Amino acid sequence: MASVTHDVVHEAAAERAHVAQPYMNPYLAGIGLGLVLLAAFVLVGRGLGASGAFNSTIAWLVALVAPGYARSNEFLAAYLEEDTHPLKAWLVFEVVGAFVGALLSGLLAGRVGVAVEKGPRVSVGTRLAFAFVGGALMAVGAAFARGCTSGQALTGGALLNLGSWAFMMCVFGGAYAVAWFFRRQWR
Amino acid sequence: MSAPFYKLDAFGDEASLIVAFLIGIGFGFFLERAGFGSAKKLVSQFYLNDLAVFKVMFTAIVTAMLGVTYLSWAGFLDPSLVYLVPTYWVAQVVGGLLLGVGFVVGGYCPGTSVVSTATGKLDGLVFVFGFAAGTLGFALTFPLVKGLYTAGDLGTRTLPQVLGIPYGILVFGVVLVAVGGFMGATWVEKKMAAKAAPATATE
Amino acid sequence: MRWISKLSLNQKLGVLALALGALAVFANVAPGHTVKVNAKELLTSVERQEDHVTPSDLAAWIIEGRNDYRLVDVRDEKAFAEYRIPTAENVPLATVTDGTLGRTDKIVLYGDGGIHAAQAWMVLKGRGYTRVYTLLEGLDAWKDEVLFPMMPASPTPEEQARFERSVPVAKFFGGQPRAAAAPGAEPMALPTQAAAPAVAPPTLPAGGGGGPKKKREGC
Repeated sequence: MASVTHDVVHEAAAERAHVAQPYMNPYLAGIGLGLVLLAAFVLVGRGLGASGAFNSTIAWLVALVAPGYARSNEFLAAYLEEDTHPLKAWLVFEVVGAFVGALLSGLLAGRVGVAVEKGPRVSVGTRLAFAFVGGALMAVGAAFARGCTSGQALTGGALLNLGSWAFMMCVFGGAYAVAWFFRRQWR
Repeated sequence: MSAPFYKLDAFGDEASLIVAFLIGIGFGFFLERAGFGSAKKLVSQFYLNDLAVFKVMFTAIVTAMLGVTYLSWAGFLDPSLVYLVPTYWVAQVVGGLLLGVGFVVGGYCPGTSVVSTATGKLDGLVFVFGFAAGTLGFALTFPLVKGLYTAGDLGTRTLPQVLGIPYGILVFGVVLVAVGGFMGATWVEKKMAAKAAPATATE
Repeated sequence: MRWISKLSLNQKLGVLALALGALAVFANVAPGHTVKVNAKELLTSVERQEDHVTPSDLAAWIIEGRNDYRLVDVRDEKAFAEYRIPTAENVPLATVTDGTLGRTDKIVLYGDGGIHAAQAWMVLKGRGYTRVYTLLEGLDAWKDEVLFPMMPASPTPEEQARFERSVPVAKFFGGQPRAAAAPGAEPMALPTQAAAPAVAPPTLPAGGGGGPKKKREGC
């Protein structure tokens, strides 16, 4: 199993080296992103987000399996309204759109392909384990902060929201603080 | 004041979901354009060789912020109708730190993990599952963490309110900090590249 | 300004950002106080009685515990301290456009009679508020209909039934029913704030639910 993934990774990487286009100028990409955010403000009066979509999805799944418990859980109940399906949430649709948009950009740039992003010094298995744990840690962080980098940092940042700026500085701080300890995963 | 359109009843809930989908497309598109479907590119920010994360994020913040400023000034947008997440500063500081650690360990944030999965990265997909698991874990232990979750409740607060600096001046300040930061970032990247170059030249 | 063309793209963007940022110093984003009134629309909605709610409607909403609206007392602080309708917030008349009231909030305004609330209503409508209403004839009507319902002199069965339903409501708000007023009678004393609903809310005839839920907007 591991060797199959290994081959896939190398093959995909080789293909990418031939076909993939360079990334867009980060400032231009940032302007594009900023205009999308502004469009959200103007059209709907809210910003972007991602973690909220996960919350809605988890609330929906738990309600499928244990509806009574889901409704009694204060955190999940907030995503379970009486008359609307939990997946009919703004953020869920937005995240599905993000998937489509990313795929579109990737296809245009020749950057779509099965691969595992990692440095040369760790195995695929280790990398995937870290990805899972990192994701779980992030989820807890995002839950406490009421948002993630898209919702809090980008949206709240643009609106000069106090909590969002504090959050953003802590994200950078926390990441820089532990980066050295995890360098083997990336270099 | 015509905007935000949805809040002034220009269209209904169903239409707003379609708008969400379209905006999401733009969101995912530009994230991928910037290369944020790649964990290696994202974490390079924290090893100082590639500060694209900082550049993209702050450019986006400045763009949207200036947009809000000018559209409000022109009387087109009513900024009081744009949703602001309330501040729970203790919870958000703890959350931010955890998120930062998760970023370096996992290699993505929730938005970029979706971008990554869309372009075929397995580690992005695994991250998504990890994130889902973490969310479930948080929900299941919510009664225990509720105290921390609601700690530092300051209500809805903005920087102009708290710092007592007029909004327009603060906007200019943020632009100055961002542009200064970009110049600094370019300098740092050059330094790190120069450090790496002598090592590779001998190979 | 030829030096601009000599800059790289990134540098041009930087200059643009600085220019826009500098100009933003002069931006005024605070809500203003001028009103734009479409007189025909406004007055038609008054004629159609779309501009107010009755005291009994309001009493029912309070008993049901609805929280999808804001009850606003436009009198001064002193009057508000002496008596207020339970769940009301105090926004004195002259401060009504200062920003505490959201443009899309559902708002019910009241004053002593109907005039100040109507003036506030007109101003808020002129500022683009979409869901503003007045309490028809304000506290005067609140006292007459809700706090101190009058026992009808020779009631029809309908009037009798209506009166009987109003008694528990009156008690809930700390008031009480009274007999037909003799000329020159003393006005009834208003309940003090301490007399706020300690009585169990009376069961009302089955009506609507608690109003529309707020849409979740977090990230």
